[in-house]
Amino acid sequence: MSALHKLIANLREALERGATLDAAATHADGSATPVAMAARRAELAAGFARELEAVGGHFLGTLSMGESAIRINDLATSLQARTAAVGEGITNGTGPIADLLARRNIAVLRPAPVADDAARAALREQLALCDLAIVEAECAVASSGTVAIVATPARPSSLTLLPPVSVILVNADRLVPDLAAAIAMIGPRAITNHRVAFITGPSRTADIEKRIVLGVHGPRELYVAVIWSGND
Amino acid sequence: MQDFVASSARAAGDKELRRKLEHATGHHLELVAAMRADFPAYDDERDTARKIKEAAIGRLDELLVELKERLEANGCKVFVAARADEARDYIVSVARERGARVVVKGKSMTTEEIELNAALAKAGCDVVETDLGEYIVQIRGERPSHIITPAIHLSKEDVGATFSEKLGVPYTAEPEALAAVARQRLRATFLGADMGVTGVNFAIAETGTIVLIENEGNGRLTSTLPETFVAVMGIEKVIPEVADLSHFLEILARTATGQKLTTYVNLISGPRRDGDSDGPREVHVVILDNGRSRMLADPVMREALYCLRCGACLNVCPVYRRIGGHAYGSTYPGPIGSIVSPSLFGPAAAQLPFASTLCGACRDICPVRIDIPRILLHLRSQANEDKSKEMPRWPRAAMRARAGVQRFARLARHPRSIRMLSRLAATVARPFARTGYMRWMPPAFRNWTRGRDFPAPRLRGRRTPRSK
Repeated sequence: MSALHKLIANLREALERGATLDAAATHADGSATPVAMAARRAELAAGFARELEAVGGHFLGTLSMGESAIRINDLATSLQARTAAVGEGITNGTGPIADLLARRNIAVLRPAPVADDAARAALREQLALCDLAIVEAECAVASSGTVAIVATPARPSSLTLLPPVSVILVNADRLVPDLAAAIAMIGPRAITNHRVAFITGPSRTADIEKRIVLGVHGPRELYVAVIWSGND
Repeated sequence: MQDFVASSARAAGDKELRRKLEHATGHHLELVAAMRADFPAYDDERDTARKIKEAAIGRLDELLVELKERLEANGCKVFVAARADEARDYIVSVARERGARVVVKGKSMTTEEIELNAALAKAGCDVVETDLGEYIVQIRGERPSHIITPAIHLSKEDVGATFSEKLGVPYTAEPEALAAVARQRLRATFLGADMGVTGVNFAIAETGTIVLIENEGNGRLTSTLPETFVAVMGIEKVIPEVADLSHFLEILARTATGQKLTTYVNLISGPRRDGDSDGPREVHVVILDNGRSRMLADPVMREALYCLRCGACLNVCPVYRRIGGHAYGSTYPGPIGSIVSPSLFGPAAAQLPFASTLCGACRDICPVRIDIPRILLHLRSQANEDKSKEMPRWPRAAMRARAGVQRFARLARHPRSIRMLSRLAATVARPFARTGYMRWMPPAFRNWTRGRDFPAPRLRGRRTPRSK
């Protein structure tokens, strides 16, 4: 368990204990006060981190966007990555992460809508050779350590499928307690129009004597950072 | 189909097979027990899921129409197959028209049911199973012996020997190394595959969405990389709304593997659109009846259609744990196989409803609480009483033992005579019974001891509750 992870667990307990008053003292319109909201998010982040690590994923921490760019760069360096694919963001622009990677001489691939089959085939070939992929999730589920990825042309499914390492960002206000809330948040419209994947940990199998082996077809390693800008 | 009595006797005598089965099924049951202790809402979710299934199966007619319309609106091609051969022919014709050479497959019991692989191979396709367990049994020329753990009958040494023999890699019994071999070979196959075929875990009528559940990522690859993707589903897989899905997901992995959720839950609503950088050009959904509507028409059988194919009833079944899946001779082994196989495969599976001790463990573990023992009894009584149905053919010794039990049943109606006779038998049998069991009995009773020992009658036995 990382130091940060421990800190969050402590924070969670402290926030829970201290939150009773604040939680009760809601605004007149019934919405939670900002303090209760922050406590709730910290609790969800801690729960998410615990479940993610239980299924073999790695929690990078609750970070600002700037911190996450630095963490991801350090990670890419320690993995000796030479190529990285960066999908388009949702609430956070992923540009700064891509720029920082490029400055460290890592070839950055930014998927974009393709014009024809040749371009599609070329993109697939490149993605299959990438060392890691960075993608923002639509939401994350605290009770199971799950991230929900909604595919778009600039954030294709293959990003979290072909490269051996996945790095997922999820905004703190997109942490939900359970799967039902995640499905409700994504909604029928997005499910009809996009490919959606709920991902819980790295690819795994238990087909040989029930022994768990990671990375059999999909990514071997999965890292998740919760992005908390701190000003909302 | 093989004779169940013979094949089960053979399998029950295989001590090595039993060791492997005990190991794997025991491990699964520990995980499930731990998971249940950790999730207090489990039973509520089971009830909710069952209610949704009950309602969905009750209006299958409307839901399938809605599903078909929604899928087509999303750009999928939908084919409804009444029988296995129709589904098979359709998929083969799709493969032919697209000139598919390499077909990758995700794990799917429904495609096993329709024997798709052989048909595609006959049409000249190179069919490759990509789930690790399925891949292992495929290169051995076997069929899966479990609904979710296809290679449960093999040890890591068996797999190592198979890989070194069939793939020409150096022998290792390390699961990590074996999985790495499969990953490397199959990744290359995936990138060159023309067509992908998988099963379906759920189909959402509201949005026209196929839900595919898996741990390895091979299902995602199969449904994302090839230009043509075919999903094969039984009619019972449809659920009404997106909001229903979480109730099933909360219980399915927990019961199937002891996980909270499987690694991947894939929601696929159609082929790629203009500008999309991946996904298949075409998505075909094959909706298969193949005997399921017969189950629907039978008020006792109907709940068999609620099955989520989690495989837990196999692991908990004292019969499955001793003989494994192959002995059943059906695509669907174990308790659930014993109730659905007669409807799907006809008289060939007529013996299977008798392959149970009726202990009820399957009913207790079933995530949607299917009363499997009740259905087994229903099917047994149909087989015995409905003269229009073909009786299962039993081997001669089994028929005689059966006749013996029937005579005993008549005798048992007279408590006095049975008490007298058992006292007599106990006295006579005493010198023959060592270790509390008799391995041999005189001619009139010999058929019983051909296959098993008989507990030695005791002189002062416990009185049965009925004997006052």
